[in-house]
Amino acid sequence: MTEILKIDGLSFKYPDSPRKAVSDFDLEIPEGEIVALAGPSGCGKSTLLRTVNGLIPHMYSGDYSGDVLVAGTSVKGSSMRDLAQNVGFLFQNPENQIFMFSVERDVAFGLENLGVPRAEMRKRVDEAIDLLGISSLAQRAPHELSDGQKQRVALAGVLAMRPRLVILDEPMSLLDPKTASELVELVEKLRKELGTTFVVVEHRLDLLVKHADRLVVMSSGRKVIEGSPREVLFGDEAESYGVSVPAVTKVQRMLADDGAVPRDRLMSPPELATAVRGALR
Amino acid sequence: MMWISGGFVFRRGTSAYHKLDPRVKLLISLLMFVATLLVKAVYEMAVVIAFMVAVAAVATVLKRVLRTMAFTALFSAFIFGVNMLATRNLFSSTLYATRFVAIVVSTSLFFITTSPDELEQVMKTFRFPRDIVFAFVTAVRFIPVMMLDTIQIMDAQKSRGLELEKGNILRRVRNMIPILIPLVVNSVVRSGELAEAMESRAYGAVPRPTSLVAYRAGGRDVAVAAAAVLVFALTAYSFYYILPLHLP
Ligand SMILES: Nc1ncnc2c1ncn2[C@@H]1O[C@H](COP(=O)(O)OP(=O)(O)OP(=O)(O)O)[C@@H](O)[C@H]1O
Ligand SMILES: [Mg+2]
Repeated sequence: MTEILKIDGLSFKYPDSPRKAVSDFDLEIPEGEIVALAGPSGCGKSTLLRTVNGLIPHMYSGDYSGDVLVAGTSVKGSSMRDLAQNVGFLFQNPENQIFMFSVERDVAFGLENLGVPRAEMRKRVDEAIDLLGISSLAQRAPHELSDGQKQRVALAGVLAMRPRLVILDEPMSLLDPKTASELVELVEKLRKELGTTFVVVEHRLDLLVKHADRLVVMSSGRKVIEGSPREVLFGDEAESYGVSVPAVTKVQRMLADDGAVPRDRLMSPPELATAVRGALR
Repeated sequence: MMWISGGFVFRRGTSAYHKLDPRVKLLISLLMFVATLLVKAVYEMAVVIAFMVAVAAVATVLKRVLRTMAFTALFSAFIFGVNMLATRNLFSSTLYATRFVAIVVSTSLFFITTSPDELEQVMKTFRFPRDIVFAFVTAVRFIPVMMLDTIQIMDAQKSRGLELEKGNILRRVRNMIPILIPLVVNSVVRSGELAEAMESRAYGAVPRPTSLVAYRAGGRDVAVAAAAVLVFALTAYSFYYILPLHLP
């Protein structure tokens, strides 16, 4: 399989900071995966993401070494223009990434900037709006939207550019549990239908582990654990790095230690309940 | 503050006037504006203001416009007073005072019926640089956000015991500082995040960005524009040549 993202010995230090925000980082992600990135606040997650879409080093100066390759091309050597077409970035605060006065215009923003002809643009905007189920909001102004709706609008704007790799920086922090799980299902749907690769920074792993292929844990700028969600969450280390292991997984782990339930896969609460009922009989 | 938002902030409307091409709305407002500068008699000003009221009625914003008129009348009263003291001429003082109201109303009519998207379109028509147009669009886009920020900060500071409405002027101005500082910090953080998001969506990638919506002036827009110019010309002509009534 081809790697859509390859990070190779990457280190970065902000100019006015005493230590490296990202340090000796390696990561390879095959196209079509959903990758969850977790780690304590300030460990360098957002910094790492910035190096993937080129904000670092193109917008931020600092000490940069190592390399990041997106679809085989070095980020350092690419222009923001080319990167913007390959890598979509959903920032933590949707408010500050909606620019235009109507939803529809905002979804078109990236395409307008790229000079996409109007007919093609119309098609892609409508597609993205449909995909996110926000057709009824198309003419609304940003201040007439809820946080969850803003999140969707911002994501539609990112997807309209048809990136192969989409980065989501704590996309659920402003969402209620229902909207958050809808977002996760949407990510899974896009991966299935379009083959898009996702890197998601998230603390609420309970929702994400169901679909994530890989879980990467960071601490003080370094990659400390990498593996399938099952490997990482059943391991002993994750919690020591402040990863919040979902409660259902903790229970499964305890029961599995007694041999009451299997440990070959992560169970959802209903699955675990069924397994426990079976064992009780 | 409130009268500015009432008099100048766009609210969505469905009238035929709202649907006009924004450039035609601009033309109408400009003609009315010029008319207020040309008139030399109070009765002529009355005619011009009657036109404005008629336009406001067609645009279904009569209530807002009348309220704006009432507010500006307070300022005009001041203008009237100063003029009276200086010139002791009732007619010219009235003219100056009403001219102020009329200028505000003609401008307000344009802004309250023209959406920010349409304003952007007008700026593009006049070939404003892309950066300036975009700065304007985002500024307008963030007005409601900043207003909400301000209210939240005020509430937060009040709940910590800040008393905004107490004391003399100096004290009140000092009281604004705990509100201004978080507001400025917020805006700085916001503009940093906006810049990152703009870059991530290819802002400035090509010199001539395209646009999702095409505004094209239709036959009706052209007809309305022509009618507006005609009415303006006829009115001006009659004021100067047919009916120089030599009324005050
Ligand atoms: N623009 C900047 N200039 C200087 N230092 C920065 C900048 N942004 C982040 N840092 C520092 O780099 C380190 C990593 O920050 P980063 O924002 O990448 O962490 P994070 O893992 O995303 O944290 P959080 O979970 O709180 O979002 C922190 O020590 C932070 O103070
Ligand atoms: Mg972060």
